[in-house]
Amino acid sequence: MNELIILDNVTAGYDNGIVLRDVSITVSDQDFIGVIGPNGGGKTTLIKLILGLIKPVSGTIQRFDNQEGSFIGYLPQQSQIDRKFPITVQDIVLSGLMSAGKGLSRYSSKDKKQAFDLLDQMGISHLAKRTAGELSGGQLQRVFICRALISSPKLLILDEPNTFVDNRFEHEMYELLQQFNKKMAIMIISHDVGTISYFVKTIACVNTYLHYHLSNIITEEQLAGYNCPLQIITHGDVPHTVLQKHDHSHDHDHDHIHLTDHKHE
Amino acid sequence: MAGILSYDFVLHAVEAAFLASITCGFIGAYIVARRMVFISGGITHASFGGIGLGYFLGINPIFGAAIFSILSAFGIRLVSKQTDIREDSAIGILWSFGMAVGIIFIYLTPGYAPNLMSYLFGSILTVTATDLTLMGILAIVTTAVFLLFYRTILFISFDEEYARSHNAPVETFNYLMLTLVALVIVINIRVAGIILVISYLTIPQSTANLFVNDLKKIIILSMIISFAGSITGLFLSYYWNIPSGATIIFVFVLIFMIARAIVYLRNLKQRKISISDR
Repeated sequence: MNELIILDNVTAGYDNGIVLRDVSITVSDQDFIGVIGPNGGGKTTLIKLILGLIKPVSGTIQRFDNQEGSFIGYLPQQSQIDRKFPITVQDIVLSGLMSAGKGLSRYSSKDKKQAFDLLDQMGISHLAKRTAGELSGGQLQRVFICRALISSPKLLILDEPNTFVDNRFEHEMYELLQQFNKKMAIMIISHDVGTISYFVKTIACVNTYLHYHLSNIITEEQLAGYNCPLQIITHGDVPHTVLQKHDHSHDHDHDHIHLTDHKHE
Repeated sequence: MAGILSYDFVLHAVEAAFLASITCGFIGAYIVARRMVFISGGITHASFGGIGLGYFLGINPIFGAAIFSILSAFGIRLVSKQTDIREDSAIGILWSFGMAVGIIFIYLTPGYAPNLMSYLFGSILTVTATDLTLMGILAIVTTAVFLLFYRTILFISFDEEYARSHNAPVETFNYLMLTLVALVIVINIRVAGIILVISYLTIPQSTANLFVNDLKKIIILSMIISFAGSITGLFLSYYWNIPSGATIIFVFVLIFMIARAIVYLRNLKQRKISISDR
């Protein structure tokens, strides 16, 4: 196991306050981490720290980045994207190869072939010359996965990838991610704890503080103890979630949803 | 037709239309793609303060306008990033402030302000050799920047945060492009005027966008539309003896409406075919 990124006692936030406190986590090359937590709990801030988009207020971040090209592949939330922007699918994928100092060089036919092969793997190579606005949300999601993968990153980060994806592709996507995991570490942010806990190896619960579970199963006591208001997960043959609203006297900030075991009849 | 081309001022106007189509083709496609039309309108009008200052100090008003437009472009960006003032409000403030400063300076300038109307409404028929030289230099610079950095510009414009996560020089490029936007606006004020220059930056590009969806193709097609529309407008204004700037914009909009109608009819036809296929 090689360490890729080490966050040590990191505190971070924006002008209007601290979002993350004393976060320590190590990401190694075989990891498949599910990042869960309530809205505003700091999931996206954690990703931005790892990507280097924001600097921590205190604490240190070490990146063991010794490869050419991009070290991290990143799939942003789709709401960030202007879908009417005049850009072709092929160009979106190639933009994953962009790095400092590569502004001048043109993309080789090898780069273009790689882009085409990735699109082909996702089953959308026929859309290479289309523009972003002509694609469905699910198709565009696949394009962005190709963009994240083209630089052969050591770490793949997906920010709520299931938002725009149809059910059939969602399942395919998780299977693909498990294949990718043989070659790279993966961090996936999701609200759908039930589904991701089925695929990930470990779970990081982010709610101002970060609690790291070295398995993909969280118990009721853990969630309650960590103040982590989340959907309930049950592990059976079919992953599904059971919701139950629950009043907690010690925390009025969130609607707590309580974890219970639920057995199939 | 050939007769009027023998006049020097008509030749100058054709050259000016050509150079304006080049610079506005690049920069217009950029601002339309990035949804920067309103900030460009703000920069345009704020530059009037520089024109007034130019008259007051007795220097070429275009240089005053260049300084004002670059400062207002940077100002809008810095104010909306560093303070809690929203970008569109910052644009509104600098837009009107520039105009006000211009009016005050022109009022304070003793005597008559020559060519004032040409700065407001444009005057493609009176462009000078100096104007053409400046336009030519800017056309070369703009073309060079786009040829060298096309992909970087495209990727940063499409997804700034992603570019930043790849350590691309996002801020450097944003300021470089803002400078180019400001300079292209100012140089083309001589052609289309403060009130009408935004048309060169938006109408041909929106027309092109009806047919093509790739930034590169929008740039090239909008240059062609822009030049064809300018020449048509120029000759119509010459024969009917009406203001050239306004006529050109009228032709631009006419082309846009015809193009929109063509697209509409084509879609209608395709829909009929697909219905009869069933």
